[in-house]
Amino acid sequence: MDNELFMNAGVLSHPSEMTSLSSSSPPAMLNWASMETHLLEQSITHNVPRDCFFGEKSTEQSIFGSALNSLVSPPPSESNFSGGGAGENYVIRELVGDLGNIGDIYGAPASFGNGSGSCYAAPMMSSPPLDAFSGDSRFAERAARFSCLGSRSFNGRRTNGPVAETASINGEMTRVSSNSALKPPAGESSGESSRKRKAKSKEHSPSTASPSPNLSKEVEGKEDSDSKRSRKSQENGENTKSLDPYKDFIHVRARRGQATDSHSLAERVRREKISERMKLLQELVPGCNKVTGKALMLDEIINYVQSLQRQVEFLSMKLSSVNTRLDFNMDALMSKDIFPSSNNQQVPQLESSSHILLADHHSHTLQLNPNDSSNNIMNPMETSESRSFNSQLPTLTHLTDSISQFSTYSEDDLHSIIHMGFAQNQIREPNQVHSTSFQGPSNQVPSHMKAEL
Amino acid sequence: MASADKPINTDVPEKDVFTLHFLQSLSNLRRQNTFNSPEKTNDRVKKIKKAAYVSMARAAGGTNRLWSRALLRRAAKENSKVVRFPRRKKRVTCLRRRRSNRRDPVEEEEAERLRNLVPGGGGMETSKLMEETAHYIKCLSMQVKVMQCLVDGLAPK
Repeated sequence: MDNELFMNAGVLSHPSEMTSLSSSSPPAMLNWASMETHLLEQSITHNVPRDCFFGEKSTEQSIFGSALNSLVSPPPSESNFSGGGAGENYVIRELVGDLGNIGDIYGAPASFGNGSGSCYAAPMMSSPPLDAFSGDSRFAERAARFSCLGSRSFNGRRTNGPVAETASINGEMTRVSSNSALKPPAGESSGESSRKRKAKSKEHSPSTASPSPNLSKEVEGKEDSDSKRSRKSQENGENTKSLDPYKDFIHVRARRGQATDSHSLAERVRREKISERMKLLQELVPGCNKVTGKALMLDEIINYVQSLQRQVEFLSMKLSSVNTRLDFNMDALMSKDIFPSSNNQQVPQLESSSHILLADHHSHTLQLNPNDSSNNIMNPMETSESRSFNSQLPTLTHLTDSISQFSTYSEDDLHSIIHMGFAQNQIREPNQVHSTSFQGPSNQVPSHMKAEL
Repeated sequence: MASADKPINTDVPEKDVFTLHFLQSLSNLRRQNTFNSPEKTNDRVKKIKKAAYVSMARAAGGTNRLWSRALLRRAAKENSKVVRFPRRKKRVTCLRRRRSNRRDPVEEEEAERLRNLVPGGGGMETSKLMEETAHYIKCLSMQVKVMQCLVDGLAPK
């Protein structure tokens, strides 16, 4: 219970809730803590512009200070959150005084470096004494907050170099936020506060040692991973709205137990993209449902593409041989016996092709299958060619819908051939479903190919 | 970083568009004098094949797709024609080399094979490549259907 108390520390921002703290039971405190966290979240997202991560001291201080201020004097509105950084030292000292012997640990932090340093040091020593204050929930609340802050940082990667520290900040921020050991809102808040604090400590340490390009790169990386927050995972229901400058980025939240530096995040995004597309391809390629794994899938896909290309080549060979053997009759048509006349729809794009085909003055005889009754007169059809030409286009689309919807054909030989081809499929296999009628002939092709090979 | 995640669009136009383009190219071919000579079957085959691919590329979205662009450019180069492509709205993102080991060796090998197969695959990132492959597969299967029907129609029993 006590641990829960400590772990679920939220940030106070209203006096009423503060006073209620002393009398509230832990569950109620949790609820309200979540509310507070939410408020703090909003304030953070409001108050934390991009610059803060570039080390603007004032905003950082203001945020941290606001968290501390909330302990002492509740700000009436969020605007006060950006209030004095000067107050923080006072706050710390006050807390120090409140916490009694724990105050010795904190000492008198004159600068933030010390404060953060002592915060680091705090959890080691503060936890046992804090138990003494469990009776006073208010103190425990504050102490818990600091211990949380400390413990968060303690849990984080503690490294020595400034560069490593910036990297650890990146990791810290995202890792903490995904730490599901805490209840989500509290975890979020402590993640946020630890991030603030660590961001501040980052200002100090990099200023001493790290060269500027390194810093900018790290900051870039951090900013990048910052910008990778948004897409709500189930755990974090808070407002993680992306800031405006980042709106054209993909925002990804690091998941629990995964590495969190910017490279691996980007890599994860890329991997997810690829797997998404693999799924798409899996649906396309027949027989790929059983295959799992990227390599095998890719093998299948490659084989399929190769087979399709070979089919095209084979069909073009066949087409070329067929072309020489046949002469096409402009007169040849599918009579209305076979294909009931239907609408003559105007499709403008066909007119150009009709001109092309009309310009071809060969006399072609179309080989008809026995079912066809041919010998319609050409001339009267010529005039109506353009009209009936247009009606061929819907035929192909209708084919998949129903058998009976075939429009009349003109003496356009090649177009009518297509329809004949379709019709033959229909006539040959009347019982088959339309969708399979295409599969039928194409199934013959591989057998042909096998025979040839 | 890439833009926001939109649903992948791999729509392919209907068969009739394919048919139309293919027949157009075929009729153009037939008008050539050398086409119907019984000799040089291979040439004819190649011409038909090229016509098939080009018409497919044109039918399937013209220059909106990378692979169709590459196909058309290749064909135009063979004919020594100058092809002008309208400027695409999106900037072509170049392959970015990252320090991290983002490339699975097995995956990369497969992706390389795929790149060789799909026209224009050389300049694409893997995710883009897969998108193009999906569209390419759809168009190829459509083209195969059209050609099959044509062959069936032309060679009745």
